[in-house]
Amino acid sequence: MKLKSLAFRLFATSAAWTLLVLPIAGLIIYELYRDDVQATFDARLEKLVYAIAVDSMVGAATPIAPNNRYEPLFEDIHSGWYWQIQPIDDATAPRLGSASLDGAEIDIPFRHNIKPDANGARWMNSTGPMGEALRMVEVIDTPYYHREGPRYSVLVAGPIDWLESRVANFLTRLAVALALTGIGLVTVTLFQVRFGLLPLRRIEQGLAEIRSGAAGKLEGELPGEIEPLQVELNALIASNQEIVDRARTQVGNLAHALKTPLAVITNEAREDKGPLGRKIVEQAEVMRDQVNHYLDRARMAAQVRVIGRATPVLEVLDTLKRALERIHRDRAIAIQITCPPSVRFAGERQDLEEILGNVCDNACKWAGSAVRVRVTADSRRTPGRLEIVVEDDGPGLSEEERARIGKRGVRLDETKPGSGLGLSIVTDLVQSYRGTLQLAPSPMGGLLVRLDLPST
Amino acid sequence: MRILVVEDDKDLNRQLNAALTGAGYAVDQAFDGEEGYFLGDTEPYDVIILDLGLPKMDGISILEQWRRAERNMPVIILTARDRWSDKVSGMDAGADDYLAKPFHMEELLARVRAQVRRASGHAKSEIECGPVRLDTKTARVTCDGQQVKLTSHEYRLLAYLMHHGGRVVSRTELVEHLYEQDFDRDSNTIEVFIGRLRKKLPSDVIETVRGLGYRMSRGADEA
Repeated sequence: MKLKSLAFRLFATSAAWTLLVLPIAGLIIYELYRDDVQATFDARLEKLVYAIAVDSMVGAATPIAPNNRYEPLFEDIHSGWYWQIQPIDDATAPRLGSASLDGAEIDIPFRHNIKPDANGARWMNSTGPMGEALRMVEVIDTPYYHREGPRYSVLVAGPIDWLESRVANFLTRLAVALALTGIGLVTVTLFQVRFGLLPLRRIEQGLAEIRSGAAGKLEGELPGEIEPLQVELNALIASNQEIVDRARTQVGNLAHALKTPLAVITNEAREDKGPLGRKIVEQAEVMRDQVNHYLDRARMAAQVRVIGRATPVLEVLDTLKRALERIHRDRAIAIQITCPPSVRFAGERQDLEEILGNVCDNACKWAGSAVRVRVTADSRRTPGRLEIVVEDDGPGLSEEERARIGKRGVRLDETKPGSGLGLSIVTDLVQSYRGTLQLAPSPMGGLLVRLDLPST
Repeated sequence: MRILVVEDDKDLNRQLNAALTGAGYAVDQAFDGEEGYFLGDTEPYDVIILDLGLPKMDGISILEQWRRAERNMPVIILTARDRWSDKVSGMDAGADDYLAKPFHMEELLARVRAQVRRASGHAKSEIECGPVRLDTKTARVTCDGQQVKLTSHEYRLLAYLMHHGGRVVSRTELVEHLYEQDFDRDSNTIEVFIGRLRKKLPSDVIETVRGLGYRMSRGADEA
């Protein structure tokens, strides 16, 4: 998941919220539970202290040990559960205590500083005979039949440990439960984001397919929210293609409209052998060259890089071979093509036909008997490129001639009509595709043309 | 040799007509697609020059229909659309050659000659029949090295027979291939021209095959 992706944003906000909310919820639950356990504990102590007070004071002049044990742990020595009854006014009066105290007394050092609650009970935390932390409650009472008699302090204590261990136990389980919930939520979020954004992935793949030329438009059914995007995108691709096609047609029409009258003028002027005729022929040829040059330029300008164009090279070569063998059939030129069927040119079919048509036609014009076309695409060494080598067994070119026709627009043989190399349009096209064209001597004896072009 | 020019531009059609007639061909003209298709479908032409951008019916469709009907005469496409994609579709539709406008008339004539030669199975531009020698490039005829002066109709007749040397050519075939469509087709005129040729050339060069037609004499062969 990339940091700048939609998926990450959705996931991060959701996960952050989960990680923030779960601990707060845990804290609240913990506090509520703790209060509840404390209240239950206190209620028990309160119940015990009143029961013991009543039991020990009723029907006696001096307190007596309560009959009921109430809590078995009062009998367990140093169990943490204690009761004791001590006189407040008369130091000689008898003192009583639970068996668990084993004769010891619980010191109540700060009795006077603690305000009794509505029932007259005082609550405090202190330590027991073993130094253990205790929660205590004390009530002041007098024997039932001796209302004006000396007052006694009745006290019941329970271990705070019991309380703490319960809360701690609960906390552990709560933490585990919340942690599991957290992990579960984050996992679900991750899944939700992946699932929810699946259509976007499909768009990504669809665009890659369009770019590579495997598809002509964005296919498949997409959710309502992004369907307009799909519709608009397909419309854009279609309109892009339409504009290019229209421009091409217009250029073709212009070519037709200009070239036919030009042919008429030239032919007419040739009939006239005088100086006027010669001048017109000369100027008409200049016009022809200019028209050709600017029509080529116009075609190039119309050639907006349309996304998603891929042309199988072998198909183009096969149709060209058929046409060329027909055009040059008197001379029985053998055109041999080596091309893997999977190689595809990243561009317009018409452009590849124009490039290869001119190059191969030249090769056929000059060849003795054989023309060889070899196409290679090494996806590991030169990914995204393809190489086309066209060579013939004709007379070839000298180094100086090769250098000269490398310059655009130069025709090697100006005397014979149609025998120029036509390389000007080829170099322009190749350059517009960021390709290269090289000329070299061929081992077959003639010229070797090496083209480097983009592939998909 | 009879040629059909299908071209909607009147001036260009006229120029082509003049140039081809001047080179010794019988020329028919069509100015739109339908007319061109009809003529090519019904008349025996030795070569057809076909423009692609035509009114009523486009050149490629015409060509495809001819080829589907197995009309196999040589067709040269003459068009302003000079991209290779156009050439390829033209050749795929069954064209034999393709020439882009503007063009040199000599280039067109050379291509026409090449198609005529190819159709009759000759590789070179000079054809020999015994002592008679025909240079298709310059339209000159020599006999034992001496130039023979011929009228255009005499030349057409001799050229057709020499292109089909060794084969019996019927009178009807000669009429169909030597005259424009609206020419008064009286086959007796053929006999008149044969008679004139026999006077100008050794008389045994053109044989009469009774009931069938004419043939350039045996031993006549291409150079």
